[in-house]
Amino acid sequence: MTVNHKELLSALVDGELTGEELDLALNILQTDEQARQQWQRYQLASDVLHGHNLVSHSADLTASISSAVAGEPLLTTPVKAKVLHFSQPFWKQTMSLAVAASIGALAVVGVMSQSQHDLIATEQLATLEVEQSAVAQTTHASKRWTVEEEDVEQRLNTYLVDHNEYAGASGVFSYARVVSYEVGQ
Amino acid sequence: MSVDLELVQRVQAGDKKAFDVLIMKYQQRIVHVITGFVHDPVEALDVAQEAFIKAYRAIPNFRGDSAFYTWLYRIAINTSKNHLTARSRRPPLHDVDAMDATNFYDAPELKEFETPESKLVSDELQQVIYNAIEGLPEDTATAIKLRELEGLSYEEIAEVMGCPIGTVRSRIFRAREAIDKQIHETMSEGEIR
Repeated sequence: MTVNHKELLSALVDGELTGEELDLALNILQTDEQARQQWQRYQLASDVLHGHNLVSHSADLTASISSAVAGEPLLTTPVKAKVLHFSQPFWKQTMSLAVAASIGALAVVGVMSQSQHDLIATEQLATLEVEQSAVAQTTHASKRWTVEEEDVEQRLNTYLVDHNEYAGASGVFSYARVVSYEVGQ
Repeated sequence: MSVDLELVQRVQAGDKKAFDVLIMKYQQRIVHVITGFVHDPVEALDVAQEAFIKAYRAIPNFRGDSAFYTWLYRIAINTSKNHLTARSRRPPLHDVDAMDATNFYDAPELKEFETPESKLVSDELQQVIYNAIEGLPEDTATAIKLRELEGLSYEEIAEVMGCPIGTVRSRIFRAREAIDKQIHETMSEGEIR
């Protein structure tokens, strides 16, 4: 072991090595038994000067612990949670997402609303068809329309159905004037 | 980045040899602290080994929020307490703050952990080291005292002594060599058991 190597070991005791010098010192300790003993004596003197009493200056736990550790599985440091890096500022991305979500929500609500209107219209149509047949049945009996011609009466019925269907499909049913009639009119 | 943190990151990356360096660096301090709990030096070595193995298993979760020694110290204390509880023995009432435990002189509570044997060995060794420092050239003695007794960094010592950092490093190394030579001779003569 060279003098330079011993000086490195001395500096290692003081924690004053970095980079390549630290690598070299650790390599010396791992490969040179004489260097290990030398370094432990340096460390021992330092501990005594710092007031750490010795239980046994000849006790060296390194070998026994090292062999126990050799049987241990290889250590792996816990994986740190990955930090997401945004190419744009975070608030910009958030705003874009919010706008996209709003548009999506509007589209869904619109489709649902449209379906409901369609449903209303279909239901009304079904109801009117039933009513129409009833009207047709009763018209013959009570002469509900004041017209005599059958084709005119048919056109009036069709107009009534179309009007109500339009009012329902346009979404303004509640504001539409319902074309109706009273029995006996 | 501190050397300890660098070593920890190497261990976390799968370098088991880097953990050896951390063991070599801190084993004396950890055994000393554990002896204060279990009072038996041989038992303390077993508990220290268990504490280091626990530290190795837990090291993937070490984030460097505190110094490595502070973290290791807490593991050693908990391992000692669990060891005593498992043997139906009562742990000490007071813990030493992990930050204070870095330096014995800042933590008088650590004196409770001393055993007569450990105190005798440490006192003898300390005397040998002080004698070695007294025999050093003045600039070398000043550098090692500023480092070990005052806890200054190389940069701070360079500023105090008005010399380059490389010179500080060299002076501290020469001081350590002289101390090591003295310790080696004393041990060889059997003066320190």
